[in-house]
Amino acid sequence: MFFRMIRGTLFRQWKKMLMIAFTIALGASLATAMLSVMLDVGDKVNQELKTYGANIKVVPKESSVLSELYEVQDGEASGAYLKEDELGKIKTIFWAFNIVDFAPFVNVNAELDDGTQAVVVGSWFNHHMELPTGEQLDAGIVSMRNWWDLTSGAWLDEQNQTNSNSAMIGQAIAEKQGLSVGDTFHVKGSAGDENFVVVGIFDAGGEEDDEIFVPLNAAQALSDLDGCIDSIEVSALTTPDNELAEKAAKDPSSLTVSQYETWYCTAYVSSICYQIQEVITDSVASPVRQVADSEGAILEKTQLLMVLITILSLIGAALGISNLVTASVMERSREIGLMKAIGAQNSSVSGLVLTEIFITAIVGGVAGFFAGFGFAQIIGRTVFGSSINMRPMVIPLVAVLVVLVTLLGSIPAVRMLLILRPTEVLHGR
Amino acid sequence: MKKRRMYFRMITASLMRRRSRMLAALLSIAIGATVLSGLVTIYYDVPKQLGAQFRNYGANMILTANDEKMSAAEVRKGTDCIDKEDLVGVAPYRYENVRINEFPVVAAATDLSGAQSTSPYWSVDGEWPSAGGELMVGANVAEKFRLKTGGDITVNFTPEDIETGDEPVADNSLNFKITGILDTGGSEEDYVYMSLEDLEALTGRAGNISIAELSVSADSEQLAAYAEKINKTVPAVSARLVKRVTASETTVLTKLQALVLLVTIVVLALTMICVATTMTAVVAERRKEIGLRKAIGASDKSIILEFVGESMLLGFLGGVLGTILGFVFAQEVSVNVFNSSISFRPLLIPITVIASIAVTAVSSLLPIRSATEVDPALVLKGE
Repeated sequence: MFFRMIRGTLFRQWKKMLMIAFTIALGASLATAMLSVMLDVGDKVNQELKTYGANIKVVPKESSVLSELYEVQDGEASGAYLKEDELGKIKTIFWAFNIVDFAPFVNVNAELDDGTQAVVVGSWFNHHMELPTGEQLDAGIVSMRNWWDLTSGAWLDEQNQTNSNSAMIGQAIAEKQGLSVGDTFHVKGSAGDENFVVVGIFDAGGEEDDEIFVPLNAAQALSDLDGCIDSIEVSALTTPDNELAEKAAKDPSSLTVSQYETWYCTAYVSSICYQIQEVITDSVASPVRQVADSEGAILEKTQLLMVLITILSLIGAALGISNLVTASVMERSREIGLMKAIGAQNSSVSGLVLTEIFITAIVGGVAGFFAGFGFAQIIGRTVFGSSINMRPMVIPLVAVLVVLVTLLGSIPAVRMLLILRPTEVLHGR
Repeated sequence: MKKRRMYFRMITASLMRRRSRMLAALLSIAIGATVLSGLVTIYYDVPKQLGAQFRNYGANMILTANDEKMSAAEVRKGTDCIDKEDLVGVAPYRYENVRINEFPVVAAATDLSGAQSTSPYWSVDGEWPSAGGELMVGANVAEKFRLKTGGDITVNFTPEDIETGDEPVADNSLNFKITGILDTGGSEEDYVYMSLEDLEALTGRAGNISIAELSVSADSEQLAAYAEKINKTVPAVSARLVKRVTASETTVLTKLQALVLLVTIVVLALTMICVATTMTAVVAERRKEIGLRKAIGASDKSIILEFVGESMLLGFLGGVLGTILGFVFAQEVSVNVFNSSISFRPLLIPITVIASIAVTAVSSLLPIRSATEVDPALVLKGE
């Protein structure tokens, strides 16, 4: 009988119930969309902040001890190098998944035909790697120097074999040498010389405007540095530093075992640095503070902003739902009065009303959840150009929210229902 | 005149008598208006506030000398081209080769408080130098010479361009107290930092500024305009943008603003629909009343006018309440997230109020219309 009555209400008053379901669906979709976006915005913004370039720099140990000061003084390399064949190992560390990109660099002092000294930098442009994990990755400066403005030409495409003798040059040196795209120039290094074809001229707004960028192997050949690299720039997704990370960054051995584990298994910039040092022989990896610190600050602010906006929209959704639930129950006072008049108990009437509303809420909530997921995807696609990852956490959160709000919304309705006097209602007063 | 008084009395009386229902409706309208005014305020304030955060990345404009010479006065003339409010910090740098323990070290002299604001990411173990005779050393230098915070050190300088004949050149030397060790992860760790006055005392002459770092809070177009203005007004100085910082800032900021805009639109659309459904429910409840009015001879027009007037009054109250709450919300967000207060936009008051009046009026109009089409006899009979 109970279920027949419920079915009766749901089918006979479907219009009213549909409206409640619709409101709940709206609220639920809003909650789902906002929660998904909020939980994912950190990763998304982190990706965007990668445009600032590397946040970790890896240099050989000796050079760091001797300090870059030495290089500043006489412009010569320090004599210590990292090994090129170890580069792939960076993608095997514990936080390999967080390493977005990296590029090796080797700097060579070379002489141009007219006798001017120029710095030739060998690097990866879009180097293709097949990792031991079966993953594929295109790493290099195409993405790590994306603030470069190409004034003419195009990025050097390393995967195209005919490009082994191509070069990209800064606009300052291009102007001085009168070079433009398609021109060939001759470079003499300490151990070899080579002709390069200019494929692109860039404006980097800094020192790099005076440099010549060529594929790694070509630069190594110029001064007999096969397999040697000067430095590696790594772009990694990191968690903002906290006290533990600061303590660990100074001296990892000062931590207790459990602290060490927490630190090692969190993507702090210092723990990623530490792990890189573990896999690259004789290296020192240090955070580029300018990038690492600012990223943390901006990330934190954006997340906090989204949390607050989410809270506001959740409150809005909750009030909308509870309002309507209250209204819809109050409307039915006549029907409820009749039920009470023919002897229905308060408990059974409340049970009936609540069950009806909950069935409606579940239908609306499920529909709203999927709609909200769609909204989140639209936001992700339009703003970040990538889909928003669904966190499993959102499902229970939205469910609890919908149940709680519906329950709270029905409290005034049920209270009214309890104090309702059948005679008065039926009499029409 | 009398008719109008009656009209207002009817509207307000119906609001007062059905207090709890109307309060609920008012609340939902107010929430809608809060979302509108709050999010729009945030949307407009986000670029400014986040822009300030982006200044963490350090200088986004540098001034260099056109012909190797740039005096402090010329730098000041250049920075005067930039609005005071936009200028976060200026740090003019002068570099000289000095010696510590007979080893050459590059000394950078600057306006230390300016450097603090142009390079907020510098992590200093200890304190920034604040008075004369205080020195901050880079981490590499500190390691090389085993220097500790709080220690004393003598810095020597050999004057080069003083005619001394055959006499060996006497070193200038000055004692410094080390107040902090600088860690940046960059080449700054190889320098020692002191105030411009100290370096002047050490070298015995006023030198030229090698480079000036500027941190300007402005978007890329504005920055380019400033750079051009400086280049034009001060010929000795060439202003350049630090592309890496400016280009990236623009990308990230545009995305973030788009995110807030989209979120605002979605939230707004949904809350508006919520308000509309609430209003629909409120009106649908009163079909009986409408039937009664029609039975005693009210025209459809007068009924619609009354109901719309009622919901507009509700919309107005909700809108005003929402504007205030929205500003409070935006202010809370701004204080919590960015530690700065938000600027009040007076234009938002009429916009929010009008929008909430329009939404409530439109959303009650549709159900009223269908309600007036009902035959009064049927409604009164209770069918």
